[in-house]
Amino acid sequence: MTISSTNKIRSGAERSLEVIALSLMTALAVVVIVGVGFRKAGAALVWYDEVASILLAWLTFYGASLAALKRAHIGFPKLVQSAAPQVRFCLVICREVIVIGFFVLVAWAGWRVLQVLDGIYLASLPGVSARVAQSVIPIGAVLFIIAELLSFAELWPALRDAVRKPSE
Amino acid sequence: MILLLLFLGLLLLIAIDVPIAIALGAVTVVAVFMTSGVDALPNVALVLYTGATKFSLIAIPLFILAGAIMNSSGISRRLIAFASSLVGFVRGGLAMVTTAASMFFAEISGSAVADVASLGSILIPQMKAKGYPAPFAAAVTSSSATLAVIIPPSIPMILYGVMSGSSVVELFVAGIIPGVIGGVLLMSVSYAMAVRHNFPVEAAFRLQRVAKTFRESIWALFLPVIILGGIFTGWVTATEGAGLAVVAAIFIGGVIYRELDWKKLRRAMIEGSVQTAVVMLLVAASALLGEFLTEQQVPQHVAQSIIELTDNRWAVLALLNVFFLAIGLFLHSAAAIILVVPIVMPLVYAVGIDPIHFGLVVTLNLGIGQQTPPVASVLVTACSIAKADIWDVSRVNIYFVSVLFAVLMLVTYIPAIPMSLVNLLYR
Repeated sequence: MTISSTNKIRSGAERSLEVIALSLMTALAVVVIVGVGFRKAGAALVWYDEVASILLAWLTFYGASLAALKRAHIGFPKLVQSAAPQVRFCLVICREVIVIGFFVLVAWAGWRVLQVLDGIYLASLPGVSARVAQSVIPIGAVLFIIAELLSFAELWPALRDAVRKPSE
Repeated sequence: MILLLLFLGLLLLIAIDVPIAIALGAVTVVAVFMTSGVDALPNVALVLYTGATKFSLIAIPLFILAGAIMNSSGISRRLIAFASSLVGFVRGGLAMVTTAASMFFAEISGSAVADVASLGSILIPQMKAKGYPAPFAAAVTSSSATLAVIIPPSIPMILYGVMSGSSVVELFVAGIIPGVIGGVLLMSVSYAMAVRHNFPVEAAFRLQRVAKTFRESIWALFLPVIILGGIFTGWVTATEGAGLAVVAAIFIGGVIYRELDWKKLRRAMIEGSVQTAVVMLLVAASALLGEFLTEQQVPQHVAQSIIELTDNRWAVLALLNVFFLAIGLFLHSAAAIILVVPIVMPLVYAVGIDPIHFGLVVTLNLGIGQQTPPVASVLVTACSIAKADIWDVSRVNIYFVSVLFAVLMLVTYIPAIPMSLVNLLYR
């Protein structure tokens, strides 16, 4: 795969995740505002708390994929940055394996939970399956892995060149 | 043994730059596998999901969204103009304006990084143009931004409230007096430095100018009165208050000021979503670790070990201050609150410290942590705007950080400072 096609996929993924994050943020604000309005009018919405909490979870995991693409998650990069190029190369590969490995496990665990939730519905919206709400875990985990790989592809040339330089 | 391995593993993963949220999750997964086997692993997905559905935390994205909307509506410019008319006539006027505007902005944003980014991008170039040294401009903006985490609303306080099970509203109220004291002391240091280095004054004080800038900024100033008033009187919860803040921000930006810039707003909303997700993933992952540590009764063991050393609450507060100042050097405030607060709360309760009082102590410690390298998100943002070296800025910032430390000592050892309003209104 060429650099330009990787860039195209990355920017496409970024735009899609941005649209999802924007929509969820807007939906969350609307649900809370409408919920407050109805409560103050004396007609509290029974689904308000549950739907708002689900939207927050969705914003968390879909937004986390966007943050992975932008390498925005909180970490402590000082030690890795100050390491020699060969050591840095190994540490970065280690880090990527751990991050991706963790989300592979989360995707598997999330998938197993969805099987168990068959036939269970939301407490406040009995027509909506709990699987819809919790699908965010396996889907979010897969999106996180894709985002991590795409952002790693961007780092890769500089990482590889830094290791090659001393021997040239 | 397994706990020792867990903490060593966590330190190792953080040291090799695995994002802290994922490091928390990864070590817990290994610990769960070692203690309960593979059958317990699907529970990881359930705990991650429930950890991210805490209703009180919905206030975080909504306050971020309200701040983004207000910031896209020319509010920073109006607040700066009003602050300038009030305190700009003093020597070092722009530095005073920076602190005063930070105090106003803190009542809307709740995030020190948002504060430094929005006010710093306007005020730091102005200070540099008027002959203030870049390190001073960055230092005063950075330290003033810390007021955003003390003066309500405050995102770290919301996080602390959820992690400790304390009232977010009482935490907000407890932050008012320390925030004002901090602001006044920071302005005093700016004034002393301005006199020493002969920094310029702004326009002379004119009542007409104050009245004009007040009229222009009245909606921006009125917004926190509505939101915080609603929260403090119990008319709305903190989460609902954050929702109201969004409505009010859209109304003020779109209808009153007619300056809502959709392109800037879209960018700010995306950044807000990312910020929310980063914090919330930490919260969700900490639920995993928290559940494991609770099963192993670790917080109770920590509390017991420290109480065996001393059960004097002032000594325990001193120990916790040192601990939080130390981790503030290396950890982002959200990560520090999420990681440490659930572990130390049994100790806090055991020695009779009020959790609201302790919340202010934690918030101030981590506010100072945002000013101290190597991990200093607010300071780094100010340095990048001022194009100044972080160590040059830190040499000036040490005076402002000393002020914040003095406020921390006042708050720690004179509990009446944070607690008097709380006691008056709620107890």
